[in-house]
Amino acid sequence: MEDSKKIKLAIIGAGRMGITHYSIINSHPNVEIESVADPSTLVLTLMKKYLPVKTFKDYNELFEKSLPDAVLVCTPPNLHYQIIEKCARLGIHVFTEKPFTRKFEAASELNSLFSKTNLVNQVGYVNRFNDVFCKTKELVENGLIGKVIRFKSEMFSCTITKSDEGSGWRASRESGGGAVFEMASHAIDLVNFLIGKPDKVTGSLLNYIYSKNVEDAMSSAFLYKNGISGTIYVNWSDPSYRKPTNKIEIFGDGGRILADQHSLKIFLNIANEAHNLRQGWNTFYITDIFKPVPFYVRGNEFTSQLYHFIDCIQNKGVTNKCSFQDGANTLEVIDQIFNDYEQNAKF
Amino acid sequence: MQNSNMETIDKIIFGDNQFFGINHMSQEKAQQLAEKFFDIKNIYRVYDTAFEAGIKAIMLNSNDRAKEICNHFKGNKSKYQDISWYPSIPYPHKYANLVAEKGIFPAINEVLFKDSSAFGIMGMMAKGGMAVLGKDAIKMMQMLIDVEMKMFKGLNVKVVFLQNIITDLILGYGVKEVFQEYCNHIRKKYKAAPGLITQNMPYLVEKLKEWNITGVVVCASFNKIGYLMSPNMESYIETVKNNNPEDYQLMAMSTLASGAIPAPEAYEFINRQNIQSVVFGASSKGHIEETVKLIKI
Repeated sequence: MEDSKKIKLAIIGAGRMGITHYSIINSHPNVEIESVADPSTLVLTLMKKYLPVKTFKDYNELFEKSLPDAVLVCTPPNLHYQIIEKCARLGIHVFTEKPFTRKFEAASELNSLFSKTNLVNQVGYVNRFNDVFCKTKELVENGLIGKVIRFKSEMFSCTITKSDEGSGWRASRESGGGAVFEMASHAIDLVNFLIGKPDKVTGSLLNYIYSKNVEDAMSSAFLYKNGISGTIYVNWSDPSYRKPTNKIEIFGDGGRILADQHSLKIFLNIANEAHNLRQGWNTFYITDIFKPVPFYVRGNEFTSQLYHFIDCIQNKGVTNKCSFQDGANTLEVIDQIFNDYEQNAKF
Repeated sequence: MQNSNMETIDKIIFGDNQFFGINHMSQEKAQQLAEKFFDIKNIYRVYDTAFEAGIKAIMLNSNDRAKEICNHFKGNKSKYQDISWYPSIPYPHKYANLVAEKGIFPAINEVLFKDSSAFGIMGMMAKGGMAVLGKDAIKMMQMLIDVEMKMFKGLNVKVVFLQNIITDLILGYGVKEVFQEYCNHIRKKYKAAPGLITQNMPYLVEKLKEWNITGVVVCASFNKIGYLMSPNMESYIETVKNNNPEDYQLMAMSTLASGAIPAPEAYEFINRQNIQSVVFGASSKGHIEETVKLIKI
């Protein structure tokens, strides 16, 4: 593609996710990373030295001096609103890291701002691009396990296993830190994706294990008017998990599905010939359902989600798989969890 | 051209994923293995089985348990004197968790300066630690390599591999200097061949050629179902076919695609490729012996 026709991209926030996204999207033949904004002098010095990008300490200056077609917002969540609102005014497509914002209200506002435009808007709930979870959705929607009755969505990691932290944005809820914003948001979005947004949230519990100001573990129960119910449980202080793991179990009147990022097990009460699955246990592995990506850095789903963002910008007909509406839905549930905890879980 | 007088690498290398609860296909299987190898003596037993089957080379990631394993081999030097080592660095999850908790530079700071006396970098601390070091990416990288390599000191190191998460991250940025300086540092300081693990082998080899960086061992997933082979199987086959082993010795990993392909079928495919080496992991005597017999490259 001619350079003039390439999508000019800016990355705001060059922390862990910004750095990963840079590497992935830099491989896209139709994208040119034009500028990066980050307050860290160290990061900017290194980028300036080795990469052909403009660097800015302040994202406001970035918008003044370069007008990108699209932005990846990878800052701490408390900055998302002001950056994304500015993008709406300037007519810039936005991919933002999760959680979308810290409050449902702010999320809905941004969603309605963007819904009045043709701008692509996407939130980084990467599980929606995982091959196993996509397959799970397809199978559940095809009625493979009959009518869904119960589910269990869990996420574990060994992110916080010492009590000496307490600085940094991840240690304060005001900045968008804590296990609910950082991790449960993934488990909730997975439920929204596979089952739908709950009609009621109840029984929410938060635990402080190592962190002083934010929760390290949480659980909650979700109810649906159609009779479905389920639970979520998230713990980011569990050293028995080597890396972050999402698990979901869905029970229906025709069988049960167990899925994580790498494998899919299905128990069927009776054989399903259309899907070529037998009665009893059936196991799929990611090797059975994976789709290779053009450039791999951190798992297929990370590449797929960014390439999808670019695809949506280039092909107007493509529907975004994780829009601001989806991001707002997750925030709505998170708000309900915090409220439920404050009102009902204290003596 | 960079130095390309590479030593020929071992044809069969014994990997370590099975010992550390790593299985790309199933987390449940990974957990079972982690339980089995909780007792480190069970790991040593499997190594001995591999040596009895004729394997003479080990690839080991610099994770939490690797230090103890290295010490075991150093402590029994006469028994293991003909074993060659292929360390892979760093242990990515250590950094992933630290970075998630603290941010990138505080994490590097902790890794480098937590035990400052051990590396003789007190002077660096006095000069402002990270603030000074952060501006010199190459020096910082060399110091991180040295921290990770410390446990392998005294072992016969043939190749030092950079883990794929790091290789591919830097590859995405396309910065020649980092690869060049990595290779220089490994050759100079460790008298070993530089190795790069990748999930994007065709692209990596293309870039290395473009940058005139040769004399590198490239390790990548290679299996007949195309699992973890980006962008696709065809470009892997093409790159391997056209490769000159004097420039890049190629090592295949994930040959069974985490168990999705039966071994005879997997190696029937591998044996037909222009590949110099295979790294595999197994924990039973039967599997180890079978694999050694099947590999005919």
